[in-house]
Amino acid sequence: MDKKRILVVDDDPAILRLLSANLKARGYEVVTSTNGEECLEAVQANFVDLIILDLMMPKVDGLEVCHRVREWSDVPIIILSARGDEHDKVKCLELGADDYLTKPFGIAELLARIKTAFRHRGDPTVAPARSSFLCDGMEINFAKRRVTVNGKEITLTPTEYSLLQHLAVNSDKVLTHAMLLQSVWGNEYSSEKEYLRVFVGRLRRKLEPDPKNPRYIQTIPGVGYHLAGVK
Amino acid sequence: MKPEISILVVDDDEDFLNILRQILEKKGYEVGTAPSAAGALGRLNGRFYNVAILDISLPDADGTELLSKIVRLHPDIIAIILTGHSSVQNAVKSLNCGAFAYLEKPLDPENLLSVINRGLERQRLVLENRKLVEELERHNRVADILLGVSQAVSQSLDLQQIVDSALDKVAQSTGLEVSFIYLNENDRLVLKGYHGLTKRIITVIPKETGKESGTIGRVFSQAEPVIIADLSMNRVSDVGFLNSGGYRSFAGIPLTPLVQGIGVLGVATSFAHYFSPNNIELLCGIGREIAIAVRNAQLYDAASSARALRELDTMRTEFLANVSHELRTPLAVIKGSANSLLQPDVIFDELTRREFLISIDRDADTLTRLVDDLLIMSRLEADALEVKRQPHRVSELIDSIKDRLDNLTAKHHLRIVIADDVPQVTIDEDRIGEVLTNLVENAVKFSEDNTPITIEAHYNGQAVVMSVADEGIGITPDIQEKIFERFFQGDARKNGRRKGTGLGLAICRGIIEAHNGKIWVESEPSRGAKFSFTLPVK
Repeated sequence: MDKKRILVVDDDPAILRLLSANLKARGYEVVTSTNGEECLEAVQANFVDLIILDLMMPKVDGLEVCHRVREWSDVPIIILSARGDEHDKVKCLELGADDYLTKPFGIAELLARIKTAFRHRGDPTVAPARSSFLCDGMEINFAKRRVTVNGKEITLTPTEYSLLQHLAVNSDKVLTHAMLLQSVWGNEYSSEKEYLRVFVGRLRRKLEPDPKNPRYIQTIPGVGYHLAGVK
Repeated sequence: MKPEISILVVDDDEDFLNILRQILEKKGYEVGTAPSAAGALGRLNGRFYNVAILDISLPDADGTELLSKIVRLHPDIIAIILTGHSSVQNAVKSLNCGAFAYLEKPLDPENLLSVINRGLERQRLVLENRKLVEELERHNRVADILLGVSQAVSQSLDLQQIVDSALDKVAQSTGLEVSFIYLNENDRLVLKGYHGLTKRIITVIPKETGKESGTIGRVFSQAEPVIIADLSMNRVSDVGFLNSGGYRSFAGIPLTPLVQGIGVLGVATSFAHYFSPNNIELLCGIGREIAIAVRNAQLYDAASSARALRELDTMRTEFLANVSHELRTPLAVIKGSANSLLQPDVIFDELTRREFLISIDRDADTLTRLVDDLLIMSRLEADALEVKRQPHRVSELIDSIKDRLDNLTAKHHLRIVIADDVPQVTIDEDRIGEVLTNLVENAVKFSEDNTPITIEAHYNGQAVVMSVADEGIGITPDIQEKIFERFFQGDARKNGRRKGTGLGLAICRGIIEAHNGKIWVESEPSRGAKFSFTLPVK
């Protein structure tokens, strides 16, 4: 199998050296850039499988990069920032980032998050036994990882797709926050409730005719979520 | 019927006087009579008659002469001349002297009454017009005064300036000898200013008073003017002190812009019973103008201090976020590098291991400098920064930080120009070294690679002036003062530069001021910046 290519973007050369050495040692191919503008060029010029992105950077900052990349690509984005407050985190996730890690960080933790992101990208071995799921105008084709609502194709990021697929496969059950976080992201995420809130919000905006009165993904207050309208 | 209308009849013929009196009294007029010019003038001296009927031939004077005197005395009187010897000449003379009509004897009573009626009608119109004109003039005067007060007090948003100019204007436009203003502060009425008080009165006027007690308090709490017509009859009052200065009338005017009162304007004059309803109305108008200006100044003050507090709070919050970011950035490198070396699944080659160690070493230095900055700032804030001043040459100072400067300006062209006549400076070399390094660091941060950065030193006869100049993005005039305030950050995102703690220049200023020097910047946007500071020679 081809090596996965990771783009690391940070204006601190020490961080770039550090991450390059670690990622290369784990078999990844690494591309680096030191500002947002270079990063956008690098994403367009090279096929990259994942972006590790700093927020505070000269020229184009991380939030803007995230927003622009999401306009045309669903490549997984992990934010790596020294800004640690909840507000920044939620803002990044809402703009399309897949994960958020605060500096300083442990190497093992970063590697685990990279693996999680790749898992969302679709490992055929985790595809469900059924070939498709149909519910009130929404169809999920598991084999093709394709989602349509009333025949119109909806583009989802890998993480969004993973979450939707998990809800669909278990549509006969209510899934708790912890269950969803553990299954879709991983054990270490079980308390990151805002991830769920943001990603359910993102899915609703893409799938629901009226995101404020959701038809598909129902909130069970204090418990979790449920994909409704099983047919 | 018409008791208010009075008629004076002057004739030396007693019978004629009696007949005329009967006719006129029957019509309801009040009638006075005089047999001679002297008698007529005597009667007219003390009072006003609406109409005077004069015989032209009197024993002691010519009727037209008397007419002239009467008209001079009472220009509005309706004078009717009666004569038994009519001539055109007399008629013209009388009318020229101000007679309303010229009638011939024998008298036709109906004709006389109709002439009187016409005369009275004209008099009524003249008096009414005059009253209207006077009223209009009074209103104009009031409007002029109010406009003057309003313009004077709205020139400033400074409370004391408003009070002072209001008092000046009150004195100037009303001619009142004494005026003073109390304003509501923390539930007390506090004396904020006075005009025209004698030195002795100044020592006794209450500096503050209760909001509901005494005359001033009553004006405030009832929001109604209070007048003391004669202070000499009212010595017990709390404004009785004015009496001892020779002032007789007092008026207290509420300063009430809206519902809530803000103070009291007090005025006094040495005339007793001075204040008429018109005066009070004018003073209330002046009071409203002053009140509006004072209220505006108070609101402006409140808004400014709230805004300043909010700004400081925002700056502090940003500062904390920035400090946290600045601490985490080198920590990330230290933790990440150390953590990499400890990973069980990878053994890095010698070169990479060494790179990790160099990173740890370098970022630990960065962290130390940051912690030092925070310590210096907290000492500056506590006014506890120690400077150990000793004589040094400027060249020694630069040599002591030359390595760091060279490192910082590796991608720029550093020039150092020290004038020959620069004497020794008495400084804490380490601290001033920090200032220079900091300024050079900023110059590097805010200018492109390969541009010059110049350190210059010269002697201005009193102190050594050192400067650091770059050719970078410069500083807009609106923030050239603010950049020296603690926590201040330029718009880093707009500049596309990394944020710092916002302490650097505040620390520089603190250190320079601790040397009794000053620091400033000259800059034009996109044409570079030149930071200069003075160093003491002794």
